[in-house]
Amino acid sequence: MKVRRTILKIRLNKTVAALATGALLLVAVPVTGFASAGAATKPVYVIGYEGPLTGSANQYGLNELGGLQLAVNQWNAISSLPFTLDIKQFDDQGSGSLSPAQAAAAVAVPNLVAVVGPAFSGATHAAQPAYLAASMPIITPSATAVGLATGGNFFRMVYGDDVQGTADANFLINIKKSKSITVINDGTFYGAGVAQVVSDYAKKVKGETVKLATLPQTSSCSGGIASVAQFAATATVIKHNNPAAVFYGGYACDFANLLPALAKVGYKGVVMSADGSYDAALMTQTTPVSAAKGAYLSAANCGSSSNLTGADAAAYEALTGIAPASALYDAQAYDAGNIVVKALKSLATSLASNTITQTRAAIVAYLHANTFEGVTGKIAFQANGNLVGSGKGNIAIYQITGKDLPTKHACY
Amino acid sequence: MSGFFHYFSSHASSFRGEFWGLLVGGLGSGIIYAMVAIGYTMVYGVLRLINFAHSEIFMVGGFAGFFVLKYTIGSSTPTGFSSVLLIILGILAGGTAGSLIAVLLERVAYRPLRKRGAPKIAYLISAIGASYFLLNLAAKEFGRIGQSMVQPYTDHPVFTIFGAPVQMYTLIIFIVAAIMLVGLDRLVSATKLGRGIRAVAQDSETASLMGVNIDKTIAVTFILGGFLGGVAGFLYAMNVGVLYSMGFTPALKAFTAAVLGGIGNLRGAVLGGVILGVVESFSVAFVDPAYIDVVAFAILILVLMFRPTGILGEQIGRAA
Repeated sequence: MKVRRTILKIRLNKTVAALATGALLLVAVPVTGFASAGAATKPVYVIGYEGPLTGSANQYGLNELGGLQLAVNQWNAISSLPFTLDIKQFDDQGSGSLSPAQAAAAVAVPNLVAVVGPAFSGATHAAQPAYLAASMPIITPSATAVGLATGGNFFRMVYGDDVQGTADANFLINIKKSKSITVINDGTFYGAGVAQVVSDYAKKVKGETVKLATLPQTSSCSGGIASVAQFAATATVIKHNNPAAVFYGGYACDFANLLPALAKVGYKGVVMSADGSYDAALMTQTTPVSAAKGAYLSAANCGSSSNLTGADAAAYEALTGIAPASALYDAQAYDAGNIVVKALKSLATSLASNTITQTRAAIVAYLHANTFEGVTGKIAFQANGNLVGSGKGNIAIYQITGKDLPTKHACY
Repeated sequence: MSGFFHYFSSHASSFRGEFWGLLVGGLGSGIIYAMVAIGYTMVYGVLRLINFAHSEIFMVGGFAGFFVLKYTIGSSTPTGFSSVLLIILGILAGGTAGSLIAVLLERVAYRPLRKRGAPKIAYLISAIGASYFLLNLAAKEFGRIGQSMVQPYTDHPVFTIFGAPVQMYTLIIFIVAAIMLVGLDRLVSATKLGRGIRAVAQDSETASLMGVNIDKTIAVTFILGGFLGGVAGFLYAMNVGVLYSMGFTPALKAFTAAVLGGIGNLRGAVLGGVILGVVESFSVAFVDPAYIDVVAFAILILVLMFRPTGILGEQIGRAA
C-alpha cells in the first residue's frame, strides 16, 4: 500500500511538473515568439526625456516631451528603420535636487541611448556628473545657463543666456532707452545666471546704473520656501527708487508674484523677464492677470522656425492638445530627437555588438562631428556643446497684451 | 557680509520715503501671520500640542474661497455692494472650510490619542502625517499648478498715509482682522465659553471637575482657530492665488510669530505676527531680500534668549 501511494505520488508530481512546463511555454511563446527561419524582431532603443512633467513648471516639460514624441512617432512609422524607438520619461519637476535621482534612473535603463533634456538649467547642472560618468549624451532643448557648456556629452539646442541676456539688456537700453535698471533674480542657477549677464552687460558695456537684488523662490514654485511678502516690500522700494526698467531672472511661478506687486505700488517702468517666465502658467497665476499687461518676455527660439509649423504643427497639436505657437521649445525637442535617431541610424551596423556605453559614446562623437538640418535651422555644435554661431537674431522678445501668453514677437 | 548689505544699504537716507509704504505692507502681511498664529497658540494652550496640520487648514480655506468666488463671479467684474457681499461670502467659505478641517483633524488625528493617553511624540507624528495627507490630497485633487483667484473687487489705492498708498486689499485685511481678533479676544476674555477654554488651558483636570466639557471645549478651540486660519487663507489667496503648497511658508512664519509673542498667548500671537511682518518688510530696505528670513529668525532667537517664553509670555489660561 505504501509503495502504491509512493508511485501515485511520483506520477502526480510528474503530471504537475508537465502541466506547469506547458503553462510556462504558453505564456512565453507569445512574448518571445517562435524562432523560425527569416523572422527577426527589431531591437528597441530608448530615448529618455528629463524635465518638469509635474509641478509649477510642467508646461515646459509637456511642450518638449510632445516634440520628442512626435519625432519618435514619425520615425517608428518608417518600416525600413532597422530598430524601434521608445521614450522613457524622467520627471525632475525642474529641480536640481530631484534631477540626480532621475539621471541615475535614466542611466540604469539598459537600452537607453540618449537623453533629451534636462529642460531646466539647475536640473541639468545637478545631473551632469551622473550623465557624464555614463557617457550619456544629453541634448537639452532649453537649459540656457552659461555654465552648462562644459563640452563632453552636453549639447544645447538653443543659444545660451550669454546671448539671451545680452539681447535683453540691449533691448532695455537701446530700444526702451532705460538709463537705470533694477535686476532681480530668484537665486536659482538659471535665474541668477541670466540676471548676472544682463547686469554685467548693462553696467560694464553700457555704463548703466544697475541695482541688484535676490528674491529667493517662494512656495509658489516647486521647492521654494521663501515668503511671498518679499515682493510687496521690494516693489515699495522699487517704486521709491523708480528705475526705468526692472529685469527679473527667474521662473513664471514667482514672476507672477512680482508683477502684481509692482502694479499695486503703481510702478510704471518697463518690466521684463527671460524664457523662464515664458510659460502659460504666468497668465493663470498672476493675480490679477491685468498686472501682467505690458511686461516683456524673451526666449531663445527665433531663427528659421520659432515653433513647429505646417503638417508637423498639426500633428503635434493632435498628439498633445497643445497649440504649437505657444509651446516653447517644442521644435528644439523635436530636432533633438531627430538628431539622436540620425546618429543611431549611422551606427546601425555596430549597434548589435556595442555595449550600451559604447553606443552612447558613439552618439556623442557623431553629434560633435556632424551638421544637421532641422526645423529650427542648421544645427552644429561647438566643442563645448553650444550651437555654432553668434546667435544674433535668435532671441524672440514678446510683449504681454492680454490674458494669454503672447505668440507675436520680434527677433533680436 | 558685503552681500548681506548688498542691495539697499546705500540709500538709508532715502529710507524715510519708503518708511510708510514698508510699514503698511508689513502690517498687511503681519496680520495674516497673526490670524494663522492664533490657531497655533489656541491649540497649544489647551492641548500643549503644536498642530502642524494648521498650514493645511490655511490652504483649504484659500481653496474654499477660491471655488466659491470662481463659480459665483464667473467672468463678471463686481463693484460696490456686490463686492462687499462677495468678500463676506469668501470669508465665510474660507472660515467654514477651515473649521470643518480643524474639527476633522481633532476627531481623527488627536482625540483618539488623547483618549489613550498617548505620549506627546505620537501627537507630533500624527500632526505631521495629517499635514502630509491633506497636502498631497490637495495636490491630487486641485493639481500642482497655482491658480489666480477671481477678484471680487477692483484693487486700487483707497487713501494714502504720508504718501504711501493703502490699497483696497490691505484695507480689507485690516478691517476683517480687526473684527475677528477683537471678537475672539472678547470671546475668550468675557464669555462662559472663553472661561471654559482658559480653564482647560490652565488645568484641564480641575476644569473637568468644575463641570467643563473637555471634549467640547477642545473641539470649539479647534473650530475657532480653524475659522481664523481659513479666513486668513482666503485673504492670502485673494492676493497670491491658490496652490496646494500655499500654506507651508505662511504657517511656518505664523508659528514663529506665535513663539515670538508667547506660545499660548492670544495677544502675543497677534503681536508676534505684526512684528514679524513689519521686520520682514523693513529688512528688504536694509539687507538683500535673500536674507529676510535670516533677519526674522535672528530676531526670534534674540528675543527668546532674553525672554524664553516670548514677548508677552503668558499662557492662554491667564490671558486678559
